[in-house]
Amino acid sequence: MVEDKLLVFRFKQGRHEALRRIYDKYKVELLKLAVVLIGDVNTAEDIVHDVFVKFAQSAERIKLTGSLKSYLVTSVINRVRNQRRDNSRHCVANLEGADLLPSFEPGPQQWAILSEQLIVLGQALQELPYEQREVVCLREEMDMTFRQIAALQNVPIDTVKGRFRYAIQKLRSVLDGEVEK
Amino acid sequence: MKSAETIKRLFKNAELRVHPDTDEQVFKDVLQAQQETKKNLPPSFLAEVRRGENIWRITMKSPLTKLAIAAVLIIACVIGLSLWRTTGSGIALADVLARIEKVKAYRCQWSMKITGEGAPGKPYNYEVRATDLVSQEHGTKSKWEELDPNGGESTFEEQYFLPQEKTKIRIIPKQKKYERTELDDAWAERGQKFKDPRWMVKEILGCKYESMGKSTIDGIEVEGFQTTDPNYCRNYWTGLPRQIDAKIWVDVKTWLPVRTEHDIMQDIKDNKIRTHIVTHDYRWDVPVDAAEFESVIPDDYTRIAGTVVKWPALTEETAIQGLKLCVDLLGKYPEGTHFYSYQWPAFQKSNTPAAMRLEEEVKGLAEDEKVNRLLDTMLPMRSLDRFYAGLKFDNKDPAYYGKTVTPKDADKVLMRWKVSDNEYRVIYGDLHVETVTSEKLAELEKALPK
Repeated sequence: MVEDKLLVFRFKQGRHEALRRIYDKYKVELLKLAVVLIGDVNTAEDIVHDVFVKFAQSAERIKLTGSLKSYLVTSVINRVRNQRRDNSRHCVANLEGADLLPSFEPGPQQWAILSEQLIVLGQALQELPYEQREVVCLREEMDMTFRQIAALQNVPIDTVKGRFRYAIQKLRSVLDGEVEK
Repeated sequence: MKSAETIKRLFKNAELRVHPDTDEQVFKDVLQAQQETKKNLPPSFLAEVRRGENIWRITMKSPLTKLAIAAVLIIACVIGLSLWRTTGSGIALADVLARIEKVKAYRCQWSMKITGEGAPGKPYNYEVRATDLVSQEHGTKSKWEELDPNGGESTFEEQYFLPQEKTKIRIIPKQKKYERTELDDAWAERGQKFKDPRWMVKEILGCKYESMGKSTIDGIEVEGFQTTDPNYCRNYWTGLPRQIDAKIWVDVKTWLPVRTEHDIMQDIKDNKIRTHIVTHDYRWDVPVDAAEFESVIPDDYTRIAGTVVKWPALTEETAIQGLKLCVDLLGKYPEGTHFYSYQWPAFQKSNTPAAMRLEEEVKGLAEDEKVNRLLDTMLPMRSLDRFYAGLKFDNKDPAYYGKTVTPKDADKVLMRWKVSDNEYRVIYGDLHVETVTSEKLAELEKALPK
C-alpha cells in the first residue's frame, strides 16, 4: 500500500520510472482478470492496454481514495462491462454474431500468453452468468473481500455471497464435465 | 467433484505471461500517453503536487504504517543500519535494457557449478570459471578453466562463438584437441542470445519479478531484481521439471548490470541437479581488437570425440530421420523429448539388428574413433533433439507422444507443432506427415491412449 502511494506520488510528478513500476506490477494480474472475465484474449489485451493508457493520461485528475490496485481493477471491470454491453447491442444488430464468440486463440501480435490451465479455467468461467463470474474472479483471483465486491457491484453483501456459492457449484460441475449440454 | 480448494488452486496455478516484445510496444504506448499529457499540464500542477503531498505525509498517514516504520527504524538502529535496503524502485528494467543495447562490447567473469548425485551415493561435482569478451560486431571469446573435482590440475580451453561466420570453435591445448562446428542460421542467432544480458532482462520483464531493494556490491550502489517465475527461460529447458531463481543487480548510477545469478534445480532421472551460475566483474564499453577473435588451430590437434563438424538443417525431414533412427537403434520411440540425451544406456542394452550391426562395426576401433563413429551415426537423433528444442524456443507449441504411440500407429499423433494460427503439422506414428486444423488436432489428441 505504501509503495503504491509513493509510486502514485512519483507518477503525478511525471516520473516515467514510477509509471513503469506500476505497469510491471499490475499488468499480468489485470490481463488475467480481463481474460477470464471477457473470455477473449484479444479483447482483454485491448481493455488492459486502454486502462494503462488512460491511467497514464490521468496524472492531473487521479485522486485515490482506496488502493491503486482497486482503482485499476475497477477500471478493468468497467471496461469489461462496457464491452459486454456493446457486444450485446452488436449481437442484436448482427444475428450472425460469429466473430463475437469467446476465443482463447492468440492473435498475430499476442501480448498475453496463456497456460493450458488458464485456458481451461477461462472456458469454464464462460459457462457462468456474468455477475457470478465477476464475483468468483474478484474473490479468487484478486483476493477481494465480499464487502469490497458488494461495493463494486452495488448490491448487498448477502447477494454477493450467494453469487459466489452458485458460481463455485456451477464451476465444479463444469470442470467435472457434469453439466448437461 | 472438484473441491472448492481445488478450484482455488486452479485459479492460483492458471498462469499468464506476457510476450516481451509486444509488452515493450504496449508500454511505449503508455509512456507516450504520459509524455503527451505532461506537455499539456498547467505549469502550476507539479508545484501543487509537491506542495500538497510529500512522501513523509503519505507514509505516515496510516497508524499501522507508523508502527511498522517505527519498528523498522529501531531494528535498523540495532544492527547499525548495515543491512538497510529500500524497497522503493528507482530503476526500471526497461531502461536497463535500453542502456545495455547501447553497449558495443563488454568483458565479464562468470562461474558455473553443477552439483548433484551421478549415482546413489556418488556425488557429482562440475565447476567452471571463465572470462568472456563479448562484442556486438565480432561475437564472443571465452577462456574457460574447468576445475578437477578431485583437486588435481585444471583444464583450460578457449571458446569462440562467431555468429558472422556461423562457427563455434573450442581449443583445449592440454589435450591438443579442438572442435569446429558450423551452425545454421537459427542456432547462430540462439547461441548469441544465450550470452546476451539483454536476453536475461527481456526474459525477466516477461515474468513476475520484484525489486530486492538497494545494496552495495564491490563498493557500487546497486538495486537488485529477482524472479522465481517458472516461465523464466522456460524455452531453454525441454521437459525437465525445474525450479529457478534468477537475480540481477544493476548499478543505480549507470543502469548497467553489476552481477547476475541463476540458481536452477532440475530433476533428472530421480536425481536432483543444482546449477549455480554467477556473472560478475562486468566492464562495459571496452575497446575491442578484431585480432582477439581470430583463432588458430595447430596442425597436430585432433577433433574432440563426438563433436559435430556441421549440423544438418533442422527441418521436418531431419526430425523424421531422427525418429526413424530411434526405432532402428532402440526398437521404439523414446518416451520423453530427449531423443538423444539419456538414450545411451537404452542403446547399449538394445539388440535390434541395426544396433548389433553398429556395435560390430565399431569393434576394434580406438576409443576416440569409436565414439566419433557412434555419435556421427546418431547425428539424426541429436538433430532431432535440437529440432524439438528449436520448436520450444520459437513458441511453436510442440508436443510429443512417444510414451504411448508406436511405429504401427498410422492414425495416432506422434509429434506436432504449430505452423499458423489455426494449423498444426503432425507426424504420425508411422512417420507420415500432414497439416491439420486445430480442431482436427484436438480430435486426434483426444483419441490418444492415456
